[in-house]
Amino acid sequence: MKKSMKRILAFVLVATMGLSLSGCGSKKEETIKIGLGTPLTGTSAQDGQAIQNGVNLAVKQCNDAGGIDGKQVVVVAEDDKGDSSEAATVANKLAQDDSILAVVGHFNSSCTLAGAPIYNQAGVVEISPGSSAAAVTDAGDYTFRVITTDAVQGGYLADWCVNELGYQNIAILYENTDYGLGLADVAQESTTELGAQVVVREAYEVGATDFSTLLTKVANVNPDVLIIGGLYNETALIAKQMKNYGLEDLQVMGVDAIFSDALIELGGDAVEGIKLTGYFYANSDEEVSKSFVEAYEAEYDETPGTYAAYAYDAALIVLDAIRNAGTDRAAIQQYIAGLQDFPGATGTISFDENGDAIKAPLKMEIRDGSFVVID
Amino acid sequence: MLTQQLVNGLTVGGIYALIALGYTMVYGILKIVNFAHGDVFMMGSFLGLFFTEGLGMPLLVAFPLAAAATAFMGIFIERIAYRPIRVADKLAVLISALGVSTFLQNLAMLIWGTGTHAYNSGIPVITYRFDRLVLSNIQIGVIVLCLILMTVLYLVVNKTKIGIAMRATSESLVSAQLMGINTEKVISFTFGIGSALACIAGVLVGTYYDAVYPTVGYSYGLKAFAAAILGGIGSIPGAMLGGFVIGIVETLGAAYLSAGYRDAFAFGILIIVLIFRPSGILGRKTVDKV
Repeated sequence: MKKSMKRILAFVLVATMGLSLSGCGSKKEETIKIGLGTPLTGTSAQDGQAIQNGVNLAVKQCNDAGGIDGKQVVVVAEDDKGDSSEAATVANKLAQDDSILAVVGHFNSSCTLAGAPIYNQAGVVEISPGSSAAAVTDAGDYTFRVITTDAVQGGYLADWCVNELGYQNIAILYENTDYGLGLADVAQESTTELGAQVVVREAYEVGATDFSTLLTKVANVNPDVLIIGGLYNETALIAKQMKNYGLEDLQVMGVDAIFSDALIELGGDAVEGIKLTGYFYANSDEEVSKSFVEAYEAEYDETPGTYAAYAYDAALIVLDAIRNAGTDRAAIQQYIAGLQDFPGATGTISFDENGDAIKAPLKMEIRDGSFVVID
Repeated sequence: MLTQQLVNGLTVGGIYALIALGYTMVYGILKIVNFAHGDVFMMGSFLGLFFTEGLGMPLLVAFPLAAAATAFMGIFIERIAYRPIRVADKLAVLISALGVSTFLQNLAMLIWGTGTHAYNSGIPVITYRFDRLVLSNIQIGVIVLCLILMTVLYLVVNKTKIGIAMRATSESLVSAQLMGINTEKVISFTFGIGSALACIAGVLVGTYYDAVYPTVGYSYGLKAFAAAILGGIGSIPGAMLGGFVIGIVETLGAAYLSAGYRDAFAFGILIIVLIFRPSGILGRKTVDKV
């Protein structure tokens, strides 16, 4: 009895081994693999999950439409935990698997940079859905991103503010971090180049509640516009405290870092009329965005956030490249580098010579308690 | 602009002073630094919001209730976290205080979430303009309330029976006990008063800036602690003076030099004063007996 059981077991094992071997051989022809490196655990897990959802949605839509050349697309997802050393491990794993044609990832700028030398050496494309740090620009020919640098948005904001709205005296308040400082520098440089002048520029600490000193300084020089280089919490507090210093009519402007429902919840009436730039907007009338939002809501039963949209676009670009350039990694890189005016959920995307996305941000304003796109 | 910035500085300073009183009174009696005090302030702020917006109580009922609840919380903290280890090394009490601080922050996050809340306490903010100077009723309220509370506290400590007991306990806990003073009651009373004052400061901060969040106690607690040291820890007028000095120095530094170094001005003045007067502006020189 025991012996026969063992014999059967051995037979089954050998049989499955054979099956799996033959599976490898034949399946290679039938599926196309793309990699995904994103934080699925750790502090950025929420954004990482959204990214995975966005990629899976794009792949599912592609497969439902018959796949690429009749082959189904499979996503190989790896968790980089938002940690740069973990990201290097993930990058090695994905890059060494020859069947993986291109990678969507990573999210954190530090992770994208840690993976970049590995992907570039192996000659496999990585497209980041969320790294906006300046250093990613020089990371290599195989490193792309669908998000623009902070400098692009800052420059665009300056143009909107000075050339279109005609503001000449600029006040800048920014958070005392690399992000805030970078944005303040860009805003100051670009507005000054356009002939405006920065009349006051001050930093505040993240988590500050008292803006009385800063707003008194702002009120003292009587600027036309206040540009904020920071996040939504502080922006809401600044907007609320402005009325104490006779600044209730001063125009406030910012970038997509303040794009959050929390800004409106916390700021209430005080944030009405704030103007900001951004790329993704869930109530957009643009065809790609609209169908993305509808499909995402149907699939995951929630409204997609900014990063889900970026990830969706990154996956669309990878799929488009495979469809047009074939299954050669280098050909895929060539194709993406030359991509022009690709319609995505976050706008029309082209890449510059460094692999950074070039696209025009949306102009948004808060009206009647919600974000609306203007002109 | 100078007048406006002075008013801003006085308002912030008054808030620091109210919190600093809690540090200095506890230190005066027990010679320990209650590092959970900043978080008691934060809880007081949230409790004020809870009684007004959450339960819809009128202001005159809600604030005494919030202050009383915070006072009981302070007494309770002393009872369970400090009293059992009072005879142990002072370091043990310090660690216990840090533990309470972490506990209170996380408790607040569990109850109210990690985000920033708008503070609809129901106190209307009215602003008065005098040429370029803008004053709000909250600013005036903070400054006036600080002065009133300081006077009341002075009278309590110097003219009442419990005040005499407090001063006796502060001189020597053991001697006071031997003289028949119920020192446990005195200690509880001290924690209660300090916490109630922190609650008032919390409600004022919430209303003035229209925001409260679970980690707000950290920076206010640290500045108030600096104020208590600057004025001379253990001294009640010292804590008030220290609060106003820190508030005004950091505001003027931020206004005329650089706002990015705001905290550096606050702690810079502390270091400078301590170099010349190690026991603080109004502190008593004490000689440790070995």
